[in-house]
Amino acid sequence: MRILKKGLVVLKYGFVLLIILLSLGPFLWVLMASFKTNAEILNNSLGWPKSFRFSNYVMAFKIAPLSRFYINSVIVGIFGTLLNLLLLGMSGYVLARFQFRFKNLLMGAFSLSLLIPGAAMLQPLYLTVNTLGLYDKVVGLIIVYAGFGLPVSLYILSSYFLTIPKEMEESAYLDGASFIQTFFRIILPISKPGFGTAGVMQFLLCWNEFQFAIILTTGNQSRTLPLALYYFKSQFASDYGVMFAATMVVIIPSILVYILLQKQVVSGLAAGAVKG
Amino acid sequence: MVRKNKGYITLFLLPTVVLFIVVYAVSIVILFGTSFTEWSSGRKPIFIGLANYIQLFTDDSDFRQSFLNTGVWVLLQSTIHVAIGTVFAIILNMKEFYWKFARTVYMFPNIISGAAVGMLFLCMLNPDFGAVNSIVRLFGNADYAQNWFMDYTTAFFSVTMTWLPYAAVVTILILAEIAAIPESLFESARIDGASELKINFYIILPMLRNIIGTCVILAGTSMLQKMDIIMMTTGGGPGNETMNLPIYIYKTALMENNFGYSNSVGVFLIGFGLAFVLLCRNLFRIGSSQN
Repeated sequence: MRILKKGLVVLKYGFVLLIILLSLGPFLWVLMASFKTNAEILNNSLGWPKSFRFSNYVMAFKIAPLSRFYINSVIVGIFGTLLNLLLLGMSGYVLARFQFRFKNLLMGAFSLSLLIPGAAMLQPLYLTVNTLGLYDKVVGLIIVYAGFGLPVSLYILSSYFLTIPKEMEESAYLDGASFIQTFFRIILPISKPGFGTAGVMQFLLCWNEFQFAIILTTGNQSRTLPLALYYFKSQFASDYGVMFAATMVVIIPSILVYILLQKQVVSGLAAGAVKG
Repeated sequence: MVRKNKGYITLFLLPTVVLFIVVYAVSIVILFGTSFTEWSSGRKPIFIGLANYIQLFTDDSDFRQSFLNTGVWVLLQSTIHVAIGTVFAIILNMKEFYWKFARTVYMFPNIISGAAVGMLFLCMLNPDFGAVNSIVRLFGNADYAQNWFMDYTTAFFSVTMTWLPYAAVVTILILAEIAAIPESLFESARIDGASELKINFYIILPMLRNIIGTCVILAGTSMLQKMDIIMMTTGGGPGNETMNLPIYIYKTALMENNFGYSNSVGVFLIGFGLAFVLLCRNLFRIGSSQN
């Protein structure tokens, strides 16, 4: 019995160690290598860099239009999130609060969108975006991402609205507030946590998305960071240190956001996932 | 009140409905409609009935391979990864040794973009300078050093490994579910003299049936999307060893310019996903009450 218990403890610690190693190992190793020279990477791939030089990072911004990609990602992230939250905040509120004709039809259609894998829509979306004249434009990405985050945001936001007591709105109406005033002055401010959760999820979607970005853009004009990595792969083929630095530049903001907003991210993942 | 608000209800719903039509509804109509046509960029689609589907199933070994790979990955992801995620949730729930640190770090690969995860693994498994080969050589077994992503024998396995960290979502969901089990249940079990191990096996696990079923669906369907990591690491190669349906759709549509055919693969992908979801719902009796 005692041996069994000891074995279990070893297994437990081993498992946790393995998971930590698998999640953190690649990240730390690439971070370390991003300060090395090419020769150091090839000859001493596991060792510590001789000195912490930032020249690889400087080069990464010089060789590739990394700052352009960065600006695009920030624009797509911010506006893709704002558009998604505004539209789904409005429709989520109405769907959570009111009864009207076609409600079930709408809810059904919106939740069906969950069952469509993005990959199936690649060519049709390419056609739509092209027809609207938004191919290779940041606006095209913003609209597509706002739509792609529809089911998750709708779920998170409308379940949050359902937790708000109806009396809040009733007393607002009695005080003479209009529908619009009630929504923007009363509902929006109380729903901050819900918008926080949905917003973090939507921002990560915009920031990390790859498959639509690759078919809806071309050249460097409107591409985002995940695509930057894809192209660096060949551009930096012989300059490993710079490639590593570029990878870190893409990864570090996401990790910082996560560490700052851990609670929202985790509850968002849980809420978004259950629905997905 | 409802009558007064009718205009506002429409006003509040309309933008989302437009967004839904532009992104989803139009896509689905195009997808189904053109899957029965021969169609390439700049041409008009020509109706050819079921010819695309017949070709898919009778005369397309690339499609068969992509379908097979996708199927195997769905199976692996929805079994092994769910098992790993569940075990880790139960360990983390004991709240021992740096569990907060472990929980945080464990989430990293789920936060960064798939392209970046692919890049990290591409570097780790690089034949010339990658950490994995360096470690293998360090222990003296240079024979085991490989070009992991480009070797026919290891490519599939290597790509499968890159998805292990995604078990974290399972862990999060299950931790949330465990937290919802009333504390009194554990207390009475402890009073009756049950060990921690027994509590885990006989109390916690059976109560997780619903959520584990949901995780199986989630983990499985997530494999119907995976494109970024494969594009970064193998591009579907060597040969079509690591090709899956999304990559195949991308290739036929945008590289071979064969829109009609690619959309018939899209229709198939949706059907495959639906079948998988229905199967799991029945298997885990999701939605029915406990036991």
